[in-house]
Amino acid sequence: MTLVDVFVAFCFLLGGVAAFFTAFHPNILYAAIALIGSLVSVAGLYGALGADFLAAAQLIIYVGGILIVILFAVMMSEDIYKRRFFQDAKKFVVPAVAAAVTFAGFAKITLSANWSNATKPDFEPTARAMGWALVGPYALVFQYVVVVLLSGLIGAVVIARPAVKMRQLDEELEKMGED
Amino acid sequence: MAGLATHLPAYLIFSAMLFSFGLIAALGRRSTIGIFMGVELMLNGAGLNFVAFQTLRAGVIANDNWLHGHIFALFVIILAAIEAAVALAIVLRTFGTRQTIEADRADELRG
Repeated sequence: MTLVDVFVAFCFLLGGVAAFFTAFHPNILYAAIALIGSLVSVAGLYGALGADFLAAAQLIIYVGGILIVILFAVMMSEDIYKRRFFQDAKKFVVPAVAAAVTFAGFAKITLSANWSNATKPDFEPTARAMGWALVGPYALVFQYVVVVLLSGLIGAVVIARPAVKMRQLDEELEKMGED
Repeated sequence: MAGLATHLPAYLIFSAMLFSFGLIAALGRRSTIGIFMGVELMLNGAGLNFVAFQTLRAGVIANDNWLHGHIFALFVIILAAIEAAVALAIVLRTFGTRQTIEADRADELRG
């Protein structure tokens, strides 16, 4: 048992516990903090799998960016400290059954497959190879993602504009039509 | 536990577990931001699958060294970032019009 094995086991444990609290903790703030644990553990597993660039990107984008957005949105939740564990447990029955069935299906497929002919992983820096892939075979997909990102951001700005301003704009437009 | 770091089924089971917990959060949470956190967990589980297959089964999937799994995991991360931006916009708009972000209370279109 090497040091990497211990690290991977620790990441599995941290990610599992954190994901459990993300799903079930009644306080949405603590659930968001638990989500940090799961995202960091996935970043650690990326590192253990030799994906150094992805581990860094996971930490920077998820833990640095998306978590800030989530914690900002948590501020708009109401009475987050009043809820108890399993207070509205009834709402979790159907999702838990659906998730258990999904997990059982994945586990059955995973355990029934033959994984014997695995390749030996080689751990080299990946940033250079990924850069070449993004301008090589994946150039078109990369452009597509860029367009989706741009349109998503424009859409977010349009949606988030205050409703009052929209009404003022409509009134002004009507006035201009009357003149 | 020896060889856990290169044991592919362990990663697959772990990512299936992340996906399942994410499914529970996405379906069972009352607040919009909780649903969003569930979707993030599900995306993470899927991305981990890509990287695990790339590292431990690369020679079985494709005979080149373009790191297909890493690229797809990167795209998953980028799409999650877009999703975060749009989700925050929707949360802000919902809060602006209803003073709440509980998904159950956005029921104007209920018949």
